[in-house]
Amino acid sequence: MSDSDDAPDEPEGRGVRADGTGIVPPDDETPTWRERKERSQGLARLTYEYFERARREDQDLRMESDYVERDVLAFPAWPHEMIRNLALTSFFVGMIIFLSATLPPHIGPPADSSTTPAIILPDWYLYWSFGLLKLGPLNPELSLLGGQKLMADRTYGVLANLVVVGFIAIVPFLNKGSARRPVEQPFWASVGVFGVIFAFTISVLSVKNLVPIDPDMLFTLTFLLPFVGGFITYGVLKSMREGYMFELNRRYYRLRPPK
Amino acid sequence: MSLEKKDEYDRRGWMETKELSPVEKGYLMTLMWLDKRLRVVDYLELLEDLYYKVNMQMPKSHTEQYNLDNKFWYWYPLYALGSFSTIAYVVAAISGALLGFYYSPAAAAASGDPTVAYESIAFIMTDLNFGYMLRSIHRWSAQVMVAAVFLHMLRVYFTGAYKEPRELNWIIGIVLISLTMVFGYSGYLLPWDQLAFWAGQIGVEMSLSIPLAGEWVAQLLFGGFTLTQATLQRMYILHVFFLPFITTALIAVHIGIVWMQGIAEPH
Repeated sequence: MSDSDDAPDEPEGRGVRADGTGIVPPDDETPTWRERKERSQGLARLTYEYFERARREDQDLRMESDYVERDVLAFPAWPHEMIRNLALTSFFVGMIIFLSATLPPHIGPPADSSTTPAIILPDWYLYWSFGLLKLGPLNPELSLLGGQKLMADRTYGVLANLVVVGFIAIVPFLNKGSARRPVEQPFWASVGVFGVIFAFTISVLSVKNLVPIDPDMLFTLTFLLPFVGGFITYGVLKSMREGYMFELNRRYYRLRPPK
Repeated sequence: MSLEKKDEYDRRGWMETKELSPVEKGYLMTLMWLDKRLRVVDYLELLEDLYYKVNMQMPKSHTEQYNLDNKFWYWYPLYALGSFSTIAYVVAAISGALLGFYYSPAAAAASGDPTVAYESIAFIMTDLNFGYMLRSIHRWSAQVMVAAVFLHMLRVYFTGAYKEPRELNWIIGIVLISLTMVFGYSGYLLPWDQLAFWAGQIGVEMSLSIPLAGEWVAQLLFGGFTLTQATLQRMYILHVFFLPFITTALIAVHIGIVWMQGIAEPH
């Protein structure tokens, strides 16, 4: 039996061990951590093997890189960064307070289910969604169904909302690579410009009588202008690429001039 | 024999051997008091351990990483949009909480007579001291937050900052912007004026038009197929209880991931 008069920090004959053993006297069969890992199977084993391999890769990367981490004498957090952030925050909050004081919000007459008002609109940031609900004319009448539509107009609108949001959500899985500026990714930048212009035009479409153009023409323009913007962006960025990539690689070109 | 338990480690004697200023003494007393009850020392040891194992450091700020100290980085405001939207969220939350003291979502008949909800808003705007200012601040910070969030999304999109390994953060961001818009929508309905009522009507029709689960969605979100007191109650609970918790947690996760992964930089 262990000697209970020992002070807790003087175990007889055993040091403190790093793998969590050594506090309770082991029986003969307590496996060490290593043994536990070696006898594991299936998913647990896979996890251990992956971890060991990943740590190995990380260590190799650390050895390869010539990045030296130093204590940096740089823009200090206190007081410089703190004051800068405080100044910016005060500016923004002050701007909000100024706007609130000068432009108070609207409140209309009380709700009345028997009177439909002339203007029914959500807040401005939902105009795009409201506009997508009005794509009725786009809902195709399928001859397969005898000239009927596959789904009701309003379902079509809700689906359009989901499709748009879903597409935006999966963009990272479509556009991979390391491009970080619009110039470096002209196709996706022009898709972005298309999206922004489309959001704008469809918001405009959702407000009735906003633009004094014939409604069919307005509908066509809603879909045409984004494409126009997208194509222009693509052309501009593609032509900028030549000069831009040259600037980036200037030092490289000096060492190895192109033939 | 005194009943005072003898201090096992004679801490007081130890403290007297050092010459401590009153501040240091007070600090030590507090620390020992807490340690006796909460084993604070264990946590400190854990942190120290982690520090040496993981080499925990404060992440470098932009200016440190990219050597920007003496340069004026004119794109900086675009990169501050995320913080800006969080600030606007906090302002909206505080002003909203204060508004909640005076607003009550009740008696939502829609007969053209002002309801209790409408009356409370009218009270806030006319009688309450600085009430109009409070409501104004709430609305404006909400609008500004939506604008900042949208511009932030555009900035992230055009700088390709959603690419690997930041896809999860992008998806969290999409969820956050949708939640922000639902926030705005539910808040829009709360005054129960004509605009609010009929915007709610459109919402009900949208949910009813969902193919399979339409009726359930309408029941869940709007409390029925027409706009009643139940609708107002649900919008209130959504706006005041449900959404703030989810949005705050998601914002924390979003910012936490940015903290861990660092800011994607144009090179």
